[in-house]
Amino acid sequence: MEGVITKSKDVTLLEVLDRVLDKGVVISGDIVISLADVDLIYVGLKVLISSIETMERLRGAPFAGVQEEPT
Amino acid sequence: MKIYSYAIIDSNSKISDSINGLEGVGVYNIYYRDIGIAVSELSEQIQDITQEHILKHEEVVEKLMESFTVLPVSFLTLFKKKEDVLLMMREYYSDFRENLDRLRNKIEFGIRIIWSGETIRSRIIDTCKKSSANISITDTSPEKSFIKERFEKYKLDKEFRKEASKVITLIDDFFSRFAAEKKLEILKSDNLLLSASYLVEKERQGDFKEAFERAKRTPGDLKFLLSGPWPPYNFIVLTKNADIFTPLEIPKTTGIQISNGV
Repeated sequence: MEGVITKSKDVTLLEVLDRVLDKGVVISGDIVISLADVDLIYVGLKVLISSIETMERLRGAPFAGVQEEPT
Repeated sequence: MKIYSYAIIDSNSKISDSINGLEGVGVYNIYYRDIGIAVSELSEQIQDITQEHILKHEEVVEKLMESFTVLPVSFLTLFKKKEDVLLMMREYYSDFRENLDRLRNKIEFGIRIIWSGETIRSRIIDTCKKSSANISITDTSPEKSFIKERFEKYKLDKEFRKEASKVITLIDDFFSRFAAEKKLEILKSDNLLLSASYLVEKERQGDFKEAFERAKRTPGDLKFLLSGPWPPYNFIVLTKNADIFTPLEIPKTTGIQISNGV
């Protein structure tokens, strides 16, 4: 299972972000400590930008080369 | 001290594997009835969130997934104290129980299919031009031209969606044979034809990957991307409205036990 994280971390980062940030069990309400939304948006953008940069580097390469290998 | 949560797990026992979470602190199980929530303690608020935090969160969930059925909790879900965690578990217990049963031995795969929207649109325009070559329009007033232009755009979008739907149906029919459930997002952009998540039985993951390889080899202009296996992020269904409850005092005689085993 670690393959998703370790094999092609840069490329899968977008996939990780897509899931981790707002999917799964989302609990809100007074009981949960919320960090400032702006922080979360910021980290999302910051990570996204670095992922886009990676994608840019890989642009032109066949998609098969970009694809992560599932384990 | 804050409690950072990673995943709901189908266990009310100690986590036997040594797993380090954020700040390198050990992950342990706080359990409620026959389920638990994997957490670690944070000494202070995370000041600068980095991609390492996100990857660590995911890594912990994936490690847990090796031993348990997991319902991943979204990134940065923190609680002030254990009593709050237990309150949340009590509120959501039936939802969690139901999801854990449904998702047992299942994993998620992500498939993205990319096509050239521009090429498809050009192809549609060419076909439309050919079919309307014999029709001559004599009225060239600005009003008529405007309406004609709008209509053509509408027609083009409609044909574009029709073409997308045709291709997606073929692809989805193929992958659905190997999946228990699915979530499809169609045409998130002109080029992202399909962004899909498939829930697959663990024992059928080999079949699913093989199916993907076969689909990828299909001649044509489609680009296929596969990711996974993932914890089932996209298949958790919560019926409880999370915003409605506020902290309550938990009676001291609830019989709730807390496991601190690391």
